[in-house]
Amino acid sequence: MSKEKILARMEKAIIEGDKDEAEALAELAIKEKIDLNEVIEKGYTPGIQKVGDLWEKGEYFLPELITGAECMKAAMEVLQPELEKAKITTKSKGKVVIGTVEGDIHDIGKSLVASMLSANGFEVIDLGADVKLETFIEKAEELNADFICLSALLTTTMLGQKKVIEILKEKNLTSQFIVLVGGAPVDQKWADGIGADGYAENAMVAVKIAKKLIG
Amino acid sequence: MSLLIEKIENFKIELNEKRISRLIGYKKKSQEIKEPIKKLIAEEKKKLDYLLHPVAIYTIIDYDQTNKHPIFKDAEKVALCICTIGPELEEDIKELMKKNEMLRALILDSIGSEAAEEVAIQSDLILAERAREMNLWPSKRFSPGYGKWDIREQQSMFRALPAQDIGVRLTESCMMIPRKSVSFRINYYKEQKLSTRRHCPKVA
Repeated sequence: MSKEKILARMEKAIIEGDKDEAEALAELAIKEKIDLNEVIEKGYTPGIQKVGDLWEKGEYFLPELITGAECMKAAMEVLQPELEKAKITTKSKGKVVIGTVEGDIHDIGKSLVASMLSANGFEVIDLGADVKLETFIEKAEELNADFICLSALLTTTMLGQKKVIEILKEKNLTSQFIVLVGGAPVDQKWADGIGADGYAENAMVAVKIAKKLIG
Repeated sequence: MSLLIEKIENFKIELNEKRISRLIGYKKKSQEIKEPIKKLIAEEKKKLDYLLHPVAIYTIIDYDQTNKHPIFKDAEKVALCICTIGPELEEDIKELMKKNEMLRALILDSIGSEAAEEVAIQSDLILAERAREMNLWPSKRFSPGYGKWDIREQQSMFRALPAQDIGVRLTESCMMIPRKSVSFRINYYKEQKLSTRRHCPKVA
């Protein structure tokens, strides 16, 4: 099979959510010694971008987005040891520290955002749920992150998002990080009011905004 | 005065497929769900046989025994209820997430939300019937955190009911654990009001 054909099939595997095919093609690419940067940039990445486009058009829904992200992850896991062996570092769109704020154990929405960001080329450090507010800042500083993403699902815990931004202001760190907020009780008005850089109403919007804000 | 606390345990849960589809992310009514995803939904639903442990606890008290929230004034009595599907389903979701099975996790989470809602609907019907037995008019159900009833009112619900008896606890941020739990109140009125349901026992 020609390289072009393999790359086209990689794209198709992601669009169609065929995890087995995505993994098998990654193995084939390694065997055929195809440039791994090309595999990622011309094979899998156009696939996940197309999935996003189909979602924008209303043809795909959240399950298809997640399936695409899962396929992407599965393929990357096959490629990862080879990337390390060849000392190839994939170009990250930006480093994201993400978590659900203190007092809130809702995990799934935040994890979906993390998964979609990761599939779309961001390096994601998921701190989990019920994360101490100071930890977001400490980790972001330690890892030199570009983004701090704060999820909150309760009217009582969304105040934690405000508090994180206040701490950033106190420490004079607001210009260092892009802060995105999301969660059921959160909206654009709240995000603007607390001084967040962006509000994402769902995982795909988070990807779009993150891409836009990182420039 | 000791309150009469009762449990409801004999739930027969039938899930609303359309609501599950919406929770999973299919917002359009016309959207055809693809076969592989339908298969995943069916597989996750099968787990309910051993993951679902629905139970509710309730009490019916005089309005004067409550903190007399002004939005519920004129009520004669108040039914307070906390219900849950138990913690097992959430444990399974955690396991799926650990294995990076995000779609399965989302599907099971949505099924769990729908199951918890179904337990609340059935408990609500039982409590509306109790009102009718007392010749009172039941209101629709109200949950803390919705409308003008602040989420911190969860604390008064948990003071009135021994929720630990059904394995539910409240965190400082007023979050119920297990998450797939619902708390609500129904106000019983002497007379029909805009907020009451259409049928009173006298006419039902």
